[in-house]
Amino acid sequence: MKYRNLSIWRNIDKPLLIMYLLLSVIGYFIMYSSTFKGLNIQTDFWSANYGKQFVWIIITLFIGFFILLLDGSFIKNTAYFTYGFVLLLLILVLLMPPIKGARSWFYFSGFSIQPSEFIKLTLSLSIAKLLSDVGSRFQEFRTKLKAFFMIIIPALLIAVQPDPGTMLVFACFIFVLYREGLSGNFLLIGLFTVLIAVVGIFLKASNSVFHLAGNAISGNIFFGLILILGFIFSFIIIRYFVLPRYRKKKIQRLIIITLLGLSISGGINYVYDSVFSERHRTRFQIMFGIKEDRKGAGYNIYQALSAVGSGEGLGKGYLKGTLSNDKYKHVPEQNTDFIFCVLAEEWGFLGSFIFISLYLSTLIRMILIAERQRSKFTRIYGYCVSGILFFHFMINIAMVIGLAPVIGIPLPFFSKGGSAIFSFGLMVFILLRLDSERKVVLR
Amino acid sequence: MDPFKNRQWVVILIIISVGLIFSFRLFYIQVINKDWSERAKQITSKTENIQPPRGFIYDRNNQLLVGAETIYDIYIHPSIIKLKDSSAICKLFNLSNNDFREIIKNASSGYNVPYKPSVFIESMTQQEHAKISPYLGQINSVFAKPKIDRGYPNPIAAHLLGYIRRIDENQFKNTKAQGDFFYTKNDFIGITGLEKEYELLLRGERGNINYLKDYAGNKIETVNKKPPKPGRSLYTTLDIELQKLGEKLMENKIGSIVAIEPSTGEVLAMVSAPSYNPSSLTGRDFSENFKIFKKNDSLKPLINRPVYNDKYRPGSIFKLVQALIALDDGVILPETGFSCNKNIIGCHNHERPDNLTKAIKHSCNPYFFQVYKRLIMKDNSKNVFQTSREGLAIWEQNIKTFGFGDPLGIDLPEEKSGFIPNVDFYDKWYGKKRWAFSTIYSNSIGEGEIGVSPIQMANLASIIANRGYYYTPHVIKKIANENILKKFKIKHRTCVDKKHFEVVVKAMNEVVNKGTGRNARIDSIEVCGKTGTVENKTFNDHSVFISFAPMDNPKIAIAVYVEYGTWGSKWAAPIASLMMESFIKGSLSKKSIEKVNQISQAVILNPNTDFK
Ligand SMILES: [Zn+2]
Repeated sequence: MKYRNLSIWRNIDKPLLIMYLLLSVIGYFIMYSSTFKGLNIQTDFWSANYGKQFVWIIITLFIGFFILLLDGSFIKNTAYFTYGFVLLLLILVLLMPPIKGARSWFYFSGFSIQPSEFIKLTLSLSIAKLLSDVGSRFQEFRTKLKAFFMIIIPALLIAVQPDPGTMLVFACFIFVLYREGLSGNFLLIGLFTVLIAVVGIFLKASNSVFHLAGNAISGNIFFGLILILGFIFSFIIIRYFVLPRYRKKKIQRLIIITLLGLSISGGINYVYDSVFSERHRTRFQIMFGIKEDRKGAGYNIYQALSAVGSGEGLGKGYLKGTLSNDKYKHVPEQNTDFIFCVLAEEWGFLGSFIFISLYLSTLIRMILIAERQRSKFTRIYGYCVSGILFFHFMINIAMVIGLAPVIGIPLPFFSKGGSAIFSFGLMVFILLRLDSERKVVLR
Repeated sequence: MDPFKNRQWVVILIIISVGLIFSFRLFYIQVINKDWSERAKQITSKTENIQPPRGFIYDRNNQLLVGAETIYDIYIHPSIIKLKDSSAICKLFNLSNNDFREIIKNASSGYNVPYKPSVFIESMTQQEHAKISPYLGQINSVFAKPKIDRGYPNPIAAHLLGYIRRIDENQFKNTKAQGDFFYTKNDFIGITGLEKEYELLLRGERGNINYLKDYAGNKIETVNKKPPKPGRSLYTTLDIELQKLGEKLMENKIGSIVAIEPSTGEVLAMVSAPSYNPSSLTGRDFSENFKIFKKNDSLKPLINRPVYNDKYRPGSIFKLVQALIALDDGVILPETGFSCNKNIIGCHNHERPDNLTKAIKHSCNPYFFQVYKRLIMKDNSKNVFQTSREGLAIWEQNIKTFGFGDPLGIDLPEEKSGFIPNVDFYDKWYGKKRWAFSTIYSNSIGEGEIGVSPIQMANLASIIANRGYYYTPHVIKKIANENILKKFKIKHRTCVDKKHFEVVVKAMNEVVNKGTGRNARIDSIEVCGKTGTVENKTFNDHSVFISFAPMDNPKIAIAVYVEYGTWGSKWAAPIASLMMESFIKGSLSKKSIEKVNQISQAVILNPNTDFK
């Protein structure tokens, strides 16, 4: 037993462990500052938010230690079971009374559990198992279909809660599937879709009008015209410059892409007018800087950007923020979704840059760990963890610094919330455990 | 082996590029663009003015006239009202459901926002607040905030003290235009009386505090604080006891009392009747009372008659001035006698005025007709028009040295000049060379076109008491230990030589002891006085009396003007006498106290004008 422990310790990836611990400690201190009410206010440590957070971090480390003792194959073999179990919880949670308008929590006396935080972990394991199982080849349509449903079912259940932020994270599996051989076109189409969507929404939100030969044309129709012009232009190029034997295929693709573009922009037109409520439209207008509404829908982001901006180069110093902590509370949700404001305000650009570097280094470290595996299961799992954390990071920070509309999503290792701290911790520890077995042949 | 191994670099590239985009964005909003940093300052910091407490006003014996009183604004905080609170609030403030809804609506709209408390009852008095304060503790969403208002421990001298009110749009603009940036639109400013005259001293200097606030506007941390400089205290020359007595005596009457200390020019009492309680123009009742005083009351209680009403004709008290100028000019001697010829001008029956003393003692009109004639018609060689012109010009100059015809310069706003008719005036009125002594002779007995304010009458008494000079009457003694009142230390001499006064003083003593002013006698004090009865065509004549005492080394000079008081000795003389007795002796005899009560109960109003 002793020998085994030692060998695990020897094979554990120390850089990742240190990065994880570093993020957890920094996260805790930022979280502490965000709930800070001032030195002269006596609060009982264990009943304060940071006290609870502290307990959750200790629990996570403790359970993490036991995970390191688990057998890798045990984790792999129970993947479907845990996935099914959490899926069941996701269904059951919809029967719970809503909190802040969403049915996302099970409430027990004193603490609450959010199953959507755990589904990311169990889904990662299941996807890894599905794609690494002997006999299932990703190139087969059936495997793709299975993977698709495995991802989409929990995503839809979470959408029903509703929790659009967490749902959005499921898109990160596209990276995992891409790495496992999904056509790069999906990535490109995804990028293309996002691009057209951004332009389309911008044109709608800004109510742009273009003038063409004296006629006023609404922005999105103008955009459609440009897409068609692009099509004609490309068509002519293909017609005259591409060898005839490739021509047909290229033209096919061109038609598909153009139709896709037109339908996306048309769809956005429809969604923007008919599906979005005024609140959503305002959010987009604020994001694009078309509208300033610092008292209403734009309040959160205005306050958040002020807090971030006031950090300037070197920040105000730890616990010295004047906007984002609980003492002043100018930034709403300052200890959950907007916790980055606290860091940016108190540590300035320097701190923010170090934070981003550390965070993304951790994610890249995970990719590198995944890539060195002989076990396909561990590799896929590593990609899943990295992807999930990356999407959380990307969506959360983009929202706080005004690059994305306000979407509620926690920043892993930082935001208040036991379930998140615990489940992200487990993800990392399981990766560490699986990685430590990399020298053992495990298929 | 693994055909997709290189795809890891695509994923890593995407991660790095997101990191770069975020870093550039952060660099922009944190380092390059300072807008967000500025906005953060606007969000967090707040500068608030701190009102300096307004200076207090004391009487000559350091007794408080105007102090501070704590009043209460009641605030409501809509966003934290609990269901059980609302019924409690309605009960406490006696509101209907509709009233309550209206209050919540007001507190949540316009300038007000539901998450911040706002005022819904302004300026509650201490008594009202005491009634509700025990219940306020139980309601979180309603609280009282104390503030300081003017308080009047001795509710007297309303006109002299004046009042303050919230600065209006015009005044606000004017002060700004004059480079005075003290006021905010919520500030109070002195409108009349001392409050206006010494506004700059009383208001003090504003302080301010710069603090960090939380999202609800609560003060969290003070960054910078400049304490306010309290307004300076004014120490007035007024004597509370004398003022109180004067106001009591003038109850139910219209008119003025002005009492001056001759040796300094200090105003001991200044009564304008009818008066009002100065605290009625404070706090919540201001606008209601103000409307009544200003519009509905035909007695015009807001006017400070002693300085403002300069349309009073002085009547017989003017004979004293005529006598003095005539003596100085040498046109009469103390022994000069005239006959009481009632054919020229009316008179009553009295012993023959064969010297000046007797003429003053009996206030003989024909005598002073002759005196004035000698003053105006000095040179009989020229034609009568030219002589009158020259005589009047010299006379006007001399009269003005007694403080008539121009504002005396008392430290109260809106002092009027009074009027001494001169050559220009009559030229305009009648035309050049179309008037002569025979046209203007009613000046001789203080009738005609002459206009004098009560303060000028009191000043005349003071001049005679001093035997020839006066100090500008003033209300301020010192300003918070600093003597800045040099202009009140200048001795103003009249044109008349000191030696001529003694005969007039003696005559005035005779007036009180044996003549028309016997109602003014005080036991064991030699009083000098002169009655006046001013013709009034609409109703009873006005009653005037000027006086000083004691005769040698005078302590007090006084002028009393009772409109419709019939004749000088009837009301004005006893009032002056009681005032002087109280001031010199420090108390009143039993008999005098009775007299005070009698007088204060007597109603003297003009039924033709005062009850419209
Ligand atoms: Zn006579």
